[in-house]
Formats: sequence, structure tokens, C-alpha cells
Amino acid sequence: MTRARLQAVGVSKTFGATHALQDVSVDIGANEVVGLIGENGAGKSTLMRILAGVQQPTSGELRSDGQRLQLGSPLDAARSGIGIVFQEQSLLLNISVAENIVLGHERAFMRNGFIDWRRLHAEARAQLAKVGLTIDPSTRTADLSFSARQMVELAKALALEDRVAQDLVILLDEPTSVLESADIEVLFERIRALKRRASFVFVSHRLDEVLAISDRVYVMRDGRVVASMGAADTTVPELHRLMVGRELHAEYYHESSQQPPSSEVVLEADGLSAAGHYADVSFSLRRGEVLGIAGVIGSGREELLRTLFGFLPQTSGALRINGERVRLQSPAAAVERGIGYLPRERRLEGLVMYMSVAANLTLANLGSILWHGLISRKRETVLADHWIRALSVRAAGTDALCLSLSGGNQQKVVLAKWLVAGSRILILDHPTRGLDVGAKADVYRLVRDLGRDGVAVILAADTLEELIGMSHTIIVMRDGGVTARVDAPAGAKPAQIELIGHMV
Amino acid sequence: MPSHSVFPRGTPSVRADGVLRRKLGGRLQPLVPVVVLLALCIMITAANPRFLTWLNLVRIAASAAVPLVLSLGLTVVVLLGSIDLSIEGTMAIGSIVLSLLVANDVTSFRLGWLALPITLAATALVGAGNGLVHVWFRIPSFMVTLGTWFIGLGIAAVVLGGGTVRILDPQIRGLALARFLGLPWLIWVAVGALILAWVIQNYTRLGRHMYAVGGDENLAALSGIRIRRVKVAAFALAGAFYGLASVLEVAQLGQANAVSGEGRLFATVTAVVVGGTSLTGGVGGPLNSLVGVLIVVVLANGMILIGVSPYLQATIQGMMIIVAMAIGMDRRRTGIVK
Amino acid sequence: MSVSTARAAAPGLFLAVLVVGICLRVPEFASARSFLAVLSDAAPLAILAAGLTFVILIGAIDLSVQSVASLASVIAALLVPRFGPAGFLAAIGAGVAAGLFSGLTYVTLRVPSFIATLASSGVVTGVALYISNAATVTIDERARVYFDWINGSALGVPGYIIVTAVILAACAIVQNYTRFGRYSLAIGSGEAAARAAGIKVGRQKVYALVVSGLLAALVGVILAGRQLSGSPTLANELLLPSIAAVLVGGTAITGGVGGVGRTLIGALIVSVLRIGMTFLGINIFAQQIVFGAFLILAVGLTIDPGKLPFVK
Repeated sequence: MTRARLQAVGVSKTFGATHALQDVSVDIGANEVVGLIGENGAGKSTLMRILAGVQQPTSGELRSDGQRLQLGSPLDAARSGIGIVFQEQSLLLNISVAENIVLGHERAFMRNGFIDWRRLHAEARAQLAKVGLTIDPSTRTADLSFSARQMVELAKALALEDRVAQDLVILLDEPTSVLESADIEVLFERIRALKRRASFVFVSHRLDEVLAISDRVYVMRDGRVVASMGAADTTVPELHRLMVGRELHAEYYHESSQQPPSSEVVLEADGLSAAGHYADVSFSLRRGEVLGIAGVIGSGREELLRTLFGFLPQTSGALRINGERVRLQSPAAAVERGIGYLPRERRLEGLVMYMSVAANLTLANLGSILWHGLISRKRETVLADHWIRALSVRAAGTDALCLSLSGGNQQKVVLAKWLVAGSRILILDHPTRGLDVGAKADVYRLVRDLGRDGVAVILAADTLEELIGMSHTIIVMRDGGVTARVDAPAGAKPAQIELIGHMV
Repeated sequence: MPSHSVFPRGTPSVRADGVLRRKLGGRLQPLVPVVVLLALCIMITAANPRFLTWLNLVRIAASAAVPLVLSLGLTVVVLLGSIDLSIEGTMAIGSIVLSLLVANDVTSFRLGWLALPITLAATALVGAGNGLVHVWFRIPSFMVTLGTWFIGLGIAAVVLGGGTVRILDPQIRGLALARFLGLPWLIWVAVGALILAWVIQNYTRLGRHMYAVGGDENLAALSGIRIRRVKVAAFALAGAFYGLASVLEVAQLGQANAVSGEGRLFATVTAVVVGGTSLTGGVGGPLNSLVGVLIVVVLANGMILIGVSPYLQATIQGMMIIVAMAIGMDRRRTGIVK
Repeated sequence: MSVSTARAAAPGLFLAVLVVGICLRVPEFASARSFLAVLSDAAPLAILAAGLTFVILIGAIDLSVQSVASLASVIAALLVPRFGPAGFLAAIGAGVAAGLFSGLTYVTLRVPSFIATLASSGVVTGVALYISNAATVTIDERARVYFDWINGSALGVPGYIIVTAVILAACAIVQNYTRFGRYSLAIGSGEAAARAAGIKVGRQKVYALVVSGLLAALVGVILAGRQLSGSPTLANELLLPSIAAVLVGGTAITGGVGGVGRTLIGALIVSVLRIGMTFLGINIFAQQIVFGAFLILAVGLTIDPGKLPFVK
């Protein structure tokens, strides 16, 4: 490595009880391409956001050319020569390519108070040439293909070059996840050509690509940097091994109370596909079973879960619930079929935060508390009291707003809501996200209890370890398809490394 | 909790799907209003050839002047993704300021043309007030401007005690009565306003930033655009256009009172929406509004020529809003609509 | 919690202070006659605002209530003399149809509610103008008997006030004790969570606008009865006061918080202000200024900016 262009020194970031980053130190040398890899939730995205000025570290500092650097906003980062190419593109689709490239800097292309379009377009053309795009700069951005937009985004980041004195640092957050392989080759070619003038940080789930383009690689796990090495000195299998961590004590997941599921199939997917998201997914879910779905972002796992709860109806293939063929057009249809959903975004989709615990508990099954067609407050309170005690929810009372509950207790209320609704199939989308250790343990125990009572569970977990610990069966997804199917019976759990090879 | 994405947008693959649709629909969609306008003209001419007489066309142009200037103002706000319901209230303020400052039968001011900039300043101030309250107190624009609508009407009514002012200034009246190159002056004023709006929208930073803000506020802010300043400026600019429209209207009517702008809001919203400016912001512009206004005015004129009850105009305009929204509907938009 | 308790109690306190204040300045205000004047002013306002409350609770708005009320008054004035009470059904049916139209436009086209209802307001106004020939329709002497339930009185209480009380009570029950009421609250406070709980959000939104249309039509019928005529512009002045009543009562424009009870307080505040201002000798034209300002102020005080990622 040459001199450090940008450094993170002892950076930590906490969100409430969650440690997203712990004491992370990373050096990005001048004219260097640094790869950043790790499982979902390892802290890559948080680190990128901190480097880009989107978030600020809780402790630790950034340094630019050895000088302390404080980034309050992405604008600050831009002024320090740090540009970002986000996975979710940050171009405005309704304006032209040229305008996107110079957005916020039009002053340089004004004459007598009016925009000089000829000069502005010339500038945009020059920036586009850097990334090898020869499109008309007045094209409306929405009319470009997705990969062309990605290149425009890169050009926009490179335009910083003319405005700051330092060499640029370009952060590429999963730039290849939506590109075709020909486009990826073009992108890599540009990165290699631009290396003389800029440093790059490259985040990707595709390890072979990371090794192909990077000079050095950092491996992250559980919010820490666990290894760094030259790209030439490592291999994909070694990176796999580094990405997965320790194997946890089996009892943490109540493995001993994991009972074999019954043979009765409650939900079956047969060649299920949603165009543009995933294709040809087949599995069957049995009574009392926990079916884990592994996969990185973009693997189609999220969308599959959305299909199973009616947010995103399949475009082909069959879904059977209790043997009956269905196409779930809405969450309401899923609920009618006895499916419950514990969303990842608990505050948004899990609970109506400004309503009481009691009202949330009964929301999916108001019928159970009707008396002559009207809601009986008395029945509602009795019912809510019962569930609060059954799941030991800590709340000031049945009238307490869900807003006032801790994350773990909110999660219990969501679960109780589906139990009140009589759901026999539960989709748990990252059920322990943002919970502390104690609350996580509660959730694990509850899931085991549900299994014993015959409820079938589909689980997407925060970590592989959790997924393996909780599941009876695991299917692994990559790039929209199922790549492996692994049994995980109590006492014979697969190793994480067995799965990760199918994931990335 | 770490937020899940920096930018709240659809997933990439969803948008990738939309590319094809956009390419097919995107190119043609802007032309829909023009096609509608032409079809309308052809149909009306077929029913009554008098539509295409010079006299009738001048009549259409003259009655399009005030709606056009109003629509240019509203377009500025709608491009941001906001709305301005205060049009009639702001016009009421504009017309009383103008009518009481020029020669009239109530006050003894005789400011003549000097009253014009004062009027525009007053209505721009009303607009700026809308923008400031909207931006600083984070109150939805439709609520703020609903309030200002009635505040404006109320102020005008209080000042005039519910009465009417007659304009005696021949120059102001001349805007409607005198002609230049065969056309009443107010048509030329409206055309001037159109050119001005077009230049602002296309050749100034403010104009371009309005599109950026309307496209995505968060992303625009990330590029260092001062969202609040752009918004307040847009509302003020809109106010100035409404002021100009009230001048033209006073010139046409020869008098002013609190309710002389009644019904203008509805016709203006119709024109803007029908012209293809998107209510979600970021798409459209002054030329869209020109087409939209012409559609509304031609339709009204045609209804009279064909003999349809003029009372049904509001019904047809309401249906036009809905049809325009249906054509322009973005099916990919899945967010919560309030 | 204390903040929201204070917010809930504030409108009632304000009403009390307002009444006491006006009584102190103008002692004549404290009379049975002005009390009745306030009630009869508040009655149509309260019904209109109750309908709006359902819509605002789900986080939408209805800008067509005044047009629907006017249309219903015209229909009632035209049809009741000819067909008797069936005319009332036609008037109210028109309100339901208008609400359905607004609701379907809003939900299926996914346009903001203010634009959907602005459009249907135009449609409805045009129809009212057309069938009335843009003129006031006077109700024939002989047909007035059909309006006795509005204009008569029982135990000294005017019929329309009793009708209003019954309607408001029904609204309160619907809001507090039915699925629709509960779903509305859930949608208003957390639409995504409501959808994920299996609630058919679109359907509930349409219901809310239908209720609003129905109640607006009832107001039109009552106004037609009291004035013994219908007119296409009869209720035009009622939109702003009725929105003001909802918001001043403490129902948040962002949805999810509030209810018919609060709206009744809000309607009383608006009416006390209107009647009181007349007693205080305040220019009648100035009232619009006061209401406009009140509206913005009330929204500002009840809004929860946290719920609005973008304010447009």
C-alpha cells in the first residue's frame, strides 16, 4: 500500500442497543482499490455510510491524507473528494443526464444569470467520456437502461475531480449486483483506467469479482474487521471461512426442544416465480417445521417472503396452502388463509405504533371480540390481558401505546396478534433484528413453543448462525434461484461454511 | 435501528422492469394533451364550423389569457409536488390592491402603471407567506393554501365592505379594450408571461432546481440544493403570476370585488393537470400548461357553440381531471397516497 | 402521554373560555336564544364535519362535501314535492354515489384525496347547476309537511337538532365500536401496518368517503328543509368551517388521532365564534380571515411531523 488517502480509525457506531460497528480501522491507499466483504449485517453498509458522510460515527474518527476529517453530510464528503455510487441509485429520473451530473454546481455554467446549456452539456459529455458513455447528455435519465444509469452515477462521482484538489475516493456499494456480466467488465475496465486518479472502495457479495478488481480486501464480521490481506494472497474459500464466525452453543437456540416436524404439508411452493425477482422456487413446509431461507441481499429471498404474504403475487408457478392452490393478491388474502407475518420493519408494518397494545392484538381478528356486531371493550381487555400474561409482555397495561414498548415486547405483541388471529403459518422476517440478547432468547423460546403447538414457520434470520440454530430445514438462495437445500436436525446442524458457499 | 436504505425508493429490479414501459409510454405520453387538443378542435369544427372563424379564435385567445397566467403560476408550485389552493384568495388581494391604487370610484389614488409592480409585489408576498408557513411549520401545502384562500377573500371583503370598486383608469382598461396587431393587449401580456415562465423554468438555476426538488427532495438535498429556499421562491413566483392574472381580470371586468375570481381555482387545477404536469412533481412545465389551458378554454367555447348547457362545464372539467390522472397514472408507484 | 392528554382537553377548555369570555364582554350572549342560535348554526356544521372526520381519520381529505350538500338540497327540493319521502332517499343516494365516485377515484387511480375530491366536487356542482338551472328551487307550500321532522319541534327542541344528535351518536358508535371505525384509526395511524394486519385498506378508504358523502347529503336535506328551498350553491360557505371544526376539535390532519366527539366540540367552537363575533360587532367579512388563520393554526398544533417524511 502507498500512503493512506482515507482512513477510518477506531470507528464505532451504535444504534440503541445494537453495535453496528466496533472499533473498525480501515486504510484506503491512494490509487488503490479496496474490497470490503462480509455477511449481511456484518457492518459493511454502515461503514460505507460513515465514509460517505450519510451517518456519523459514535466514536472514532476519519482521516483524509492524515488530517482529521469530520463529515456531517454527503455534501461534506463531496467537498473532501469522496464520491458515492450507491446500490440504490441516487440519480433524479425526471431530469436530464447532464443536469444530474452537475446538480448543485450549475453556477459554473451560468452566463448573465442564465444557464448556458451548451457549456453545461460539454462538461457533462466530458464527464461521461471518463466512463466511456457516449450518450446525448440531454437524455432524460429515466430513459436510460439501468446499467447506463449506474455509469452516469459513476461519472457524477468522478465530476468531483474538477472541484476538489485531492485525489478522489469513490465508494462503490454493490455496483455489480444489478449489472449483466458484459456491463461488469466495462465497469471494471473503467475502474482500472481511473485508478491513476482515484481510490476505490468496492463492496460486493460476489467474492470472485472482489478478488478480480481489488488490490486489498477487508473482511468484516459482526461489526468488526476480522482480516485484511492482499487480494493476490487469498482465495474465495478462505474468504468464506473468514466471513463466518464461531459456532454458538446449541442451547442458545433451544436446540434440545427442536422436535421433528409432522409429515403434514401446510404450504407448498412449486416452481414459484416472480418476474424480475426470483424464479423456479420449490419447497414444502410441514406442520411444526421451521424452514430457514438463507440468501444475501438481492438473492430474491426478501421478495419470496413478500410473495408468501401477498405483497408481491407470483407471476408463475404454484403456491398451495393446505393443498389448495392459491395466488395471494393481498396481505388480506394471506391472513384469511391463516398466514401471519412478522416484518423486518416492525415499526412500519408490524404494529400501529400510535394504537394501544389491546387494539393491535385484536386488529387481525376483530371478529373474536364482537358482541352483536359491535366491538366489546370488555372482551378486548380480557383477551389482551390473557396474551400479555401468556407471553409475559412488559407493558404498562392493555391501553399502553405500542410506541412505549421495548423492541422485544413489541415483537411479542406482533406474534400475539397472529396467535389471536389463529395463524398456523408464520413468516418471520428477521424477527430478532435490533433486539438485545435477552429479548432474542425470548423470541427463540417462543418460536420453539409455536413449533411444538404445530405452527409452521418460515424464517429469514439476521445471521447464518441464528438461521441454522433455529431451522429444521434450510433452503439457500442466490441470484433469484434456490442453490441448495440442507437439513438441519437437532444435533446434526450444518456448518455455516457449508451454506455460505452456496450464497455468495 | 439502522434504516434499511439511504434512499427510500423501489428496489432496483422493479425499476429495471419499468424501463421498457417507460420507453414505449414515455415518449408518447407528453403528446397526449396535444392530440386531445387537436381532436377537440376538429370535432368542434365538424359540429359547428364557426369555431374556426378569426373572431372566435380571438375570443378563445382572450378568454385563455387569465387562465393561462394563473396556470403558469400554479405549474411552478405543482412542479415541486406541492399544490396551491389559494389562487382565488390571492387574486382577490391582487384585484383590490390594483383597483384601489389606480383611478377608481372609492379612493383618490391615481398611481396608474405604478400600481402594477405594487400589485405583483403584494401577491408575491402572499405567495411567499404560503411558502414560509408550509416550509417552516411543515404543514402540508394544500392545508396552508386552503387557509390563505379564505384569508385572502376575507381581507378583500373587509377592505371593500363586501362592495365593488369600479376602475376608471383608461390605461388599465386598455389592456382588455385596446389592441395591438389586431389582438387585445391582454393576449400579448399572457404570451409575455408564458415566455417569462418558460425562460425561468429552463434557463435559471431556480427553475431547474424546482424540477430536482419535485423529482426527489432527498436526493436534491444531497446534492446541496436548498430545498426550503427553492420552495418559498416558487410559491412567491406563483403569487406574482396570480397577481398579474388579477390585473388582467380587473382590466377585463372594469371592476373588482372579493369574489371576482370565483371558480378560477378549479379551472386552473384542471388546466394544469390536463396539460400533463404531474401532481407528484418534477414533470411538466409552462408549455404543458398552455396546452392544458387551451383544452379547457376550447372545450368551454365548443360547448357553447354546440349548445351544451354551460352549467355542465364544471362536471366536464371534473371528469377531465380524473381522466387526465388516469392516463398519467404511474402504476409503479406503490407508496401510501393520502 | 401528558402532551396528548393536554391536546385532547385543550379544545373543550378553549370552548369554555370562549363562551365565558364572550359572556363577560356581551352579557346578552348568555341567553337561551343565543344558545339556540349557536346550536342551530352548529347542527349542520357538526354533521358535515362528522363525515369529514371519518375521512380525515384515515389520513385523507374530502373537498367535495359542500358541493354534495348543495346537490342534495336541490334534489330534495325538486323531488320531495313530487314524490314525497322517496325524494329524500334520492338526495341521500346521490350523496352516497358521489362519495363512492370520490372514493373509487382516490383508491383505484391512486391520486391524492384532495385532487380526487376536488374533481368530484366539480362534477357534482355541474350536475347541481344543470338540474336546478343554476337557480334556487323553492319548495312548494303543500310539500312542506314532509319537512316537519326538520322544522317541527319536540319538547321545545327543534327537530333538526334532535336529528343531529341522533346522527352524531350513530357516528360515535360507528367510530368506537365497529370494525370500520377501528380499521380507520389503524389506517390513519399506520397504513402499512394496517395493510400487513390483513385489513383491506382500499375498501375502508372508499367506505370513509361514502360515509362523508352520505352525511353531506343529509346536511343538504336538512338545509333545504330549514330554508324551504334548494340551491346549487347552498352549502358553498360550509367547507372551510367544517374542516376547521374537525381540526380545531383536535383531529389531526395526518390521520389516526381524533373522533366525532372532538369534532362536535370543534363545531361548537366555530359556531360560538361565528355567533359571538356578531355579538361583539366584528365585521362579518372578517370571519373568513379568522377561520383561515384558525385552520392553519389548528393544523400546525395537531400535526405530527414525525409521520410525514416529506411535507408537500
